[in-house]
Amino acid sequence: MSKPLNDGPVAAKAVEPAETPHWKRDFPIRWEEDHYVTRRELAKFLTLGSGTIAAATVGVALLGDRLRPSGPMPPLRIDGAEGLARGASLLFRYPSEEDPCILVRLENDRLAAYSQVCTHLSCAVVHRPGSRELDCPCHEGHFDCIDGRPNSGPPTRRLPRILLNETLNGTYAVGVEV
Amino acid sequence: METGRQGTTLFTAICLLIALLLIIQLWLISAALDAAMSAQARVAVPASVASLVLFAFNVSLLWYVLDFDRRRRRVDPDA
Ligand code: FES
Repeated sequence: MSKPLNDGPVAAKAVEPAETPHWKRDFPIRWEEDHYVTRRELAKFLTLGSGTIAAATVGVALLGDRLRPSGPMPPLRIDGAEGLARGASLLFRYPSEEDPCILVRLENDRLAAYSQVCTHLSCAVVHRPGSRELDCPCHEGHFDCIDGRPNSGPPTRRLPRILLNETLNGTYAVGVEV
Repeated sequence: METGRQGTTLFTAICLLIALLLIIQLWLISAALDAAMSAQARVAVPASVASLVLFAFNVSLLWYVLDFDRRRRRVDPDA
């Protein structure tokens, strides 16, 4: 007579390990158990992501505080500002050589100066003679020449304004108002 | 008694809640970034405080998940 395939509960007990190994607990065979494990792990990863974002937000706040220009800035004479015709503009750099700026003489003969760096994605804004706007060629952003506020296009923040001091000796850039 | 089926339902709900808070945190970081670029510290600082509070809440939810898991294992060591 042939031997039966199943030796009964005694044989089964001999094959089963005493306790489920740790690796096996995290890779269960049954779907229901698998769902349990994946949800538990997902909760861990989401919390990890939450921590990363919280840390990054704190970093952004601290970094923004550091990057902000502080203290008085050295005055810089803007050559050619006096002879600028109404509706015309000229370029200069302030406070450092890496900061391009634009000076415009408005229709009312007042001078206004702004950073040339677009507040959308940092392209250089330009001024067309006679125009009341500074235009960003990258995504059609337009800023008002009077106060630097965005009129249309993607930018939502105004251009940093360059503070000017007009004296008998010439026009000076004396600070940046973000 | 804690069962696997209960755990799956509970964890799904908690995951959804954490994900929702995570989306709020993403919104907060983009607001903080925008504020930092335009030098408005009065937005960036509260945004980071709010983000930390949400993170702390998420940690407490995760702690609950792990505690449930521990209790379940105590009842059924093979789980
Ligand atoms: S970079 Fe100026 S509008 Fe996009």
